[in-house]
Amino acid sequence: MPLRSINLPGIGTKYELETEKGDVLAIFFLKNGNIQMYTLPHNAAAPSVAELNPAEARRLGTILSGAIMEADKESVEMAFSALSDLRISVHTYKIGRPMAGKCIGDLQIRAKTGVTIIGVSRGEQNTINPPPEFIFEEGDAVVAIGETDQLKRFEHECMVQ
Amino acid sequence: MEGIVLALLVCLILALLTKHLSAPVTPFYILAGIVVGTSGLKIVAADDISHFSTELGLIFLLFFLGLELKPGRILSNRKTFLASGLLDLNINFLIGFGAAFLLGFPLIESLVIASAFFISSTAMTVASLIENRKLMMREAETIVWMMVFEDIVLIVVLTLLSSSLAAPALFVGEIAAFFAVFFLISTLGRGYILKIMNRDDELPVIFTFSSVIAVAFLAQQAGLPESLMVIAFGAALATTDPVKFEIQAQPFKDVFLVVFFVFFGIGVDFSGGIPLLIIAALSLLAIVSKFLSGIAIGHFVHGKSGAGIEIWANTIGRGEFSIALATLYGSVMVSTIIAGLVITTSIVGSFSAKYSDRISQLFRKWGLFQKSPS
Repeated sequence: MPLRSINLPGIGTKYELETEKGDVLAIFFLKNGNIQMYTLPHNAAAPSVAELNPAEARRLGTILSGAIMEADKESVEMAFSALSDLRISVHTYKIGRPMAGKCIGDLQIRAKTGVTIIGVSRGEQNTINPPPEFIFEEGDAVVAIGETDQLKRFEHECMVQ
Repeated sequence: MEGIVLALLVCLILALLTKHLSAPVTPFYILAGIVVGTSGLKIVAADDISHFSTELGLIFLLFFLGLELKPGRILSNRKTFLASGLLDLNINFLIGFGAAFLLGFPLIESLVIASAFFISSTAMTVASLIENRKLMMREAETIVWMMVFEDIVLIVVLTLLSSSLAAPALFVGEIAAFFAVFFLISTLGRGYILKIMNRDDELPVIFTFSSVIAVAFLAQQAGLPESLMVIAFGAALATTDPVKFEIQAQPFKDVFLVVFFVFFGIGVDFSGGIPLLIIAALSLLAIVSKFLSGIAIGHFVHGKSGAGIEIWANTIGRGEFSIALATLYGSVMVSTIIAGLVITTSIVGSFSAKYSDRISQLFRKWGLFQKSPS
């Protein structure tokens, strides 16, 4: 798959890739920050074009590079296909009355479930990597990271008591 | 003062309208200038403020041209660059020069007309390639390199036209000395310049603006052409961080270039008899000669004449550099003709660029320029 890149004065950088099957992809990073992506199927006369803004292009990039993010309402799952399908889920929870007033260390969250609390949002204030002494309050929004099974266990053992 | 405000407001409305229709805006700025200026309603006349503003427009246009000159890039594409550029130059310049000379213009004026006739609008061409999503075409790359070649020819023409006024040897020596100083400053002072440009306060913009106009002023004082000095200054600064300078200089270029175009229109004077016939003939010839050069480039560079249709369709429009040449070296008569040339070719060019597919189809239907079997 020959890949060539070239700087076009006044336009930006061009990348062109020919696939094994003879389809051609051309990507232009324009000076205004947008990206034009052309695909020209083998034997076709004219290419089709999509223009992406930087955020859309990054999104497309993560999909193509194999780090797949599946976002539902309160969780995101990342799969790194290059790392023998390593899957990590990030989930958000609201702290209810059972956990209020207790600290992370006392609850033994990681020992019992394998889940790590990586952030807490309380009103306007965010705490990243809260220490074991961190005491929850009712209404805190927490971000937990772990495997899907571990997060399930966390939901059953800690959240519902 | 009120003249420039009125002119800018008219341009703002025109810009809103043409962006909505995705048409090129330059010809309409000039037309608006003609309508409100000397040849039309006579509401707006040039004054000191407009003179200064139009000069800024021209200076920043040329400063940008300098920033875009990167010799390394050109050398890596030498073959296409030279072949397409030379065909473009020889065909269009000779036809333009011959026509102007036959119409009875003296040598220097013919040279100015020929250059304005030759040089396509880089801004319009690049914008239409992006807008019409034609970047993937093989021809697009050739077209972009043609624009760079034309910019270099412009620099040569500017040197030729300005040196005819002074003692050539001394003149060239002085210019070379200035170039050397610029490059020395941007090489030795590279670290310091980058430090200034990387700040996020008002320093980068003040530095960009004041250094560019200082160079123009110094050139004037030394009796050297500002145009060349500003291009050289841009080229020297391009060795530091051209993108940073472009970001800072862009607003000045955008605003003052509008003033430049509209006051160019305002200065157009039909009182000496409207040379409509000459304008029409020259515009038609300008379209035909780009067709000839396009077909030749398609044939020699891409191996099929049909490719030339795309090249032609995207390079018909003449614009900012033609007007710059007219402003710098054209008489009123020459400027008026070039105004007409720019207006017609840029409007025709915007349509041809948009519908180049259909134009190619039409030619094929007539049995001309078949796609080579591949």
